[in-house]
Amino acid sequence: MATEAAPMDEKAKRMRDLLSSFYTPDPSISTPTSSISTSFDNINGPSFDADQYMDLMIKKSNLDVLLQRHVQMAAEIKNLDTDLQMLVYENYNKFISATDTIKRMKSNIFGMEGNMDQLLHKIMSVQSRSDGVNTSLFEKREHIEKLHRTRNLLRKVQFIYDLPARLQKCIKSEAYGDAVRFYTGAMPILKVYGDTSFKDCRRASEEAIETIIKNLQTKLFSDSESIQARAEAAVLLKQLDVPVDSLKDKLLEKLEQSLDGLQINPDEASKLAEHNVSSKDEESNNQGPAKIHEDAVRGFSEAMRAYREIFPDSEERLFKLARALTTTHFENMELYIRKRVSAADFLGIFRIIWEDVVLMDEVLPEAALSDLSAEAAQVTLKQFVARTFSHLQQDISDTLLKFDINQKEVVDGEVLKVVLEASGKAEFRQLLDENTGIFVKMNDLLIGWIQKGFQDFFRSLESHFLVLSGKTSSSNETEGLVEGKSSEKIHAGLILVLAQLSVVIEQKVIPRIAEEITASFSGGNSQAFIPGELCRVFHAASEKLLQHYIDTRTQKISNVLRKRFKTPNWVKHKEPREVHMYVDMLLQQLEEVGKEVKQILPQGTFRKHKRSDSNGSNTTTSSRSTTLHSDKMARSNSQRARSQLFETHLAKLFKQKVEIFTKVEFTQESVVTTTVKLCLKSLQEYVRLQTFNRSGFQQIQLDIQFLKAPLKETVEDEAAIDFLLDEVIVAASERCLDVTPLEPPILDKLIQAKLAKSKEHNNNNNKTTVSS
Amino acid sequence: AQARMQGGSSGIGYGLKYQARCISDVKADTDYTSFLAGTLSLKEENEVHLLRLSSGGSELICEGLFSHPNEIWDLASCPFDQRIFSTVFSTGESFGAAIWQIPELYGQLNSPQLERVASLDAHVGKINCVLWWPSGRCDKLISMDEQNIFLWSLDCSNKSAEVLSKDSAGMLHSLSGGAWDPHDVNAVAATGESSVQFWDLRTMKYGISVDLLCSQKVNSIERAHVRGVDYNPKREHILITAEDESGIHVWDLRKAKAPVQELPGHTHWTWAVKCNPEYDGLILSAGTDSAVNLWYASASSTNNKAPESPVESTRERVNLLLNSYTDYEDSVYGLAWSSREPWVFASLSYDGRVVIESVKPFLPRL
Repeated sequence: MATEAAPMDEKAKRMRDLLSSFYTPDPSISTPTSSISTSFDNINGPSFDADQYMDLMIKKSNLDVLLQRHVQMAAEIKNLDTDLQMLVYENYNKFISATDTIKRMKSNIFGMEGNMDQLLHKIMSVQSRSDGVNTSLFEKREHIEKLHRTRNLLRKVQFIYDLPARLQKCIKSEAYGDAVRFYTGAMPILKVYGDTSFKDCRRASEEAIETIIKNLQTKLFSDSESIQARAEAAVLLKQLDVPVDSLKDKLLEKLEQSLDGLQINPDEASKLAEHNVSSKDEESNNQGPAKIHEDAVRGFSEAMRAYREIFPDSEERLFKLARALTTTHFENMELYIRKRVSAADFLGIFRIIWEDVVLMDEVLPEAALSDLSAEAAQVTLKQFVARTFSHLQQDISDTLLKFDINQKEVVDGEVLKVVLEASGKAEFRQLLDENTGIFVKMNDLLIGWIQKGFQDFFRSLESHFLVLSGKTSSSNETEGLVEGKSSEKIHAGLILVLAQLSVVIEQKVIPRIAEEITASFSGGNSQAFIPGELCRVFHAASEKLLQHYIDTRTQKISNVLRKRFKTPNWVKHKEPREVHMYVDMLLQQLEEVGKEVKQILPQGTFRKHKRSDSNGSNTTTSSRSTTLHSDKMARSNSQRARSQLFETHLAKLFKQKVEIFTKVEFTQESVVTTTVKLCLKSLQEYVRLQTFNRSGFQQIQLDIQFLKAPLKETVEDEAAIDFLLDEVIVAASERCLDVTPLEPPILDKLIQAKLAKSKEHNNNNNKTTVSS
Repeated sequence: AQARMQGGSSGIGYGLKYQARCISDVKADTDYTSFLAGTLSLKEENEVHLLRLSSGGSELICEGLFSHPNEIWDLASCPFDQRIFSTVFSTGESFGAAIWQIPELYGQLNSPQLERVASLDAHVGKINCVLWWPSGRCDKLISMDEQNIFLWSLDCSNKSAEVLSKDSAGMLHSLSGGAWDPHDVNAVAATGESSVQFWDLRTMKYGISVDLLCSQKVNSIERAHVRGVDYNPKREHILITAEDESGIHVWDLRKAKAPVQELPGHTHWTWAVKCNPEYDGLILSAGTDSAVNLWYASASSTNNKAPESPVESTRERVNLLLNSYTDYEDSVYGLAWSSREPWVFASLSYDGRVVIESVKPFLPRL
């Protein structure tokens, strides 16, 4: 189809071109396109040369083509002929109809001239009449316009004259918006004519406006008005060119002043906390201080919300205010927890603060109050944890010091353990269980602090123990807790309590706390609580303290012994007539040790050995005393001494070396035994420093013989006691110029006399215990 | 020569015939490491032994054996003449002090007698010790009894001693020993029952004595008896004391309110303490628990008393004890560092056994 249509179009186009060229005299213009494609073979072109074309055709083409071309051209020519005829015909038709039309027009136009003239005439007369009317009405119109203007002016004047009354009306109906609109409308006139024609009027309206301003201000300041009303008032005031900034300042100042009332007074905080805690019966006690506080803060934040809307540019100051309140809250909190505060109270206050912060944060989210308070809360909480620990330590030290005052009271390690656990665990658990927003965030931190707190607490407790015991000198002591204590005598029992307490802490408390920590305070990545280390610390402390106790005790006994050995002139001693009284003091001291030890330390496990051992040691004693006896027989002084020394050395060689200085254990027996051993060793050393005559030696012999029985009663390791008592005798004999032991009957007699005397003494003082 | 090696123990032993308390380093002997030891026997003839450590350090040789009239309670070798020494002795009823000279050619004599240079016979009561001028050649001596302190001028050539000055500590105090400050020859420390008193020799004639520690003791319980005292020869103002039950304390005399350091001491009494003459911080103590302990009280830890962490301090405390020599049969009273070989010390237990040890294996750093 397309291939068929194209030659058809081509053909039609060519036709049209040809026809148009026929009508238009200038071919170059009419057919610009064809002229472009002018060539020799363009049969339609203007510069077509038939001869040339023929030559070309003949030269180029063969006969067939030429014949074909001839046929084609003949057809074309015929076609063109037909077309031409058609065109001529059509054109002729048109020409004829055109001639007809012209003929008709000629007949129609005739007579039109006259009508036109008529029209013109009529228009002219209309115009002249209109001019007449115009001129005749002009004056009147001018007058009307003038009147109109006057009327407008009068209306305005009327408005201004009415202004005061209108304003008053507005005041009455509190339609301040209208009033302001009226007033500002009248302002330009009043400004111009205010000093002349409308003087009174202006004054009256200004007065009215002043009342309005006043009313608006009161409205603005009044808290009972709705925010919208107040905001409107502010806007109106602004429109009245009242300096709003000063108003704003005044308002904010007022707000600032109200901050004081919102503060949590550290002194009354516990009341506040109490009420907050007991909020279960809030219904009954609706007017509690906590409630009042909450309302106040609510009011405050509402005011802030209002001001924020009223004065959008006051944000910064409001932020400042809110922050100030938050900061003072935490500052007061800090003051509050300086005193002793329970976790519940602490949390109570904390909750109040947090609520306040939330309230304010709602109004001013941009003030970043939660960040601020989170920071402050961290500090406070940390402090609280630290303080709780220090209070805990204070408690313990108080309890311990009380012991000192009332020494009969049994202070059991268990009691303190309970204290430790109760206050420690419960308090902190409460902290951790608290789900006030901020606490949740700080859980990890809190765990860390608690762990570290426990760690530090135990460490400082250890050093505190050492200070309490007097083991560490308090010169480098800054705590001041024991300032008054150090000058007084530290009760030896206290040291023992501390030692035992250290054991309890090491073996029970720390593992328990460790359990608690893994159960409740684990998580987070802090591992500040290291039970192993603390156990080591307290283990060392317990040993140190126990040693210190023994040192303290033996030191006391040493003093008794030193006095005993310093006072007499041993070289000129008189015959022994009775057991010396220092023996009583010694035994009394040991008795005290026994008592303390029984109160505080657990029993050992090796009691069973006692019976079987006593026989063996008795034989040792007897053999040794026979040695001394045989010595007595010898006449020659030097020979005797020499043989005695030899024997002593020999005995030492063959006798298995008695372990005098064994490790002290945390049992009643071990401590008593160690103390007695050390005392006997001291006795030996004191003896070695003296020189005795015969009587001096005999006195020592007598005293030691007397000591034998009661010491063996108190001490487990009888063999060691025997050995040490013998050593004293040996030492005395070595330091004696004339060793002549007392005869056993005399010895016995004197001892019996002493026993009888002390029995009598005991009977006499049955009720009163000997005190020294 | 009675030297013998002890099986199992590093020490070199030597047995005196009788019980003994005193041993002294012969400081003036620059050729040999030698010690003087004196016996304590009421009834026998007492002896002074001059002992020399063989050059290899493996043997202890008795270089001289001298009889001494009485039992010896204190013995100190003269710092500038190796043949001169002092003793404090007792007959059992009375005390005396004398300066002795070892006779020349004593090796050739059968029973050499000590020459008595001078008797310090101004005392009445129980004499405690004789102190030699701490350094250099000086003829000054100090002797102390329980109440009095005497400053002597010794004239060896004329064999006489003259009292230069004297002061009394008063009846309330009972002096038990002392030490002469090597940094300040005018200062002498004297141990009392429970205090250390400081004497200024220049003003002594005016009778001024300083009682520093007594009233300011911190521990509430009566201070234990101070047994021994020694100045640190390497550091001024540092003094160490040995106390019966409370162990060893290191004091800085400029702040004498509290000790700067405390060492646990011994299981029973700590009898004697000696600062090493060469290595600062090395302290030797002897105790009645039949042991000699070697301590290291380092300067740094002396300066910083309060350790940050208790764990550190316990570790420190453990480390302070470098070694404990326990191979003794009886209480050890005699203790002396060798000034010639400062890593060597001599100890003397009551049973008369001298043990020489080298601390070299235990030194923290050398």
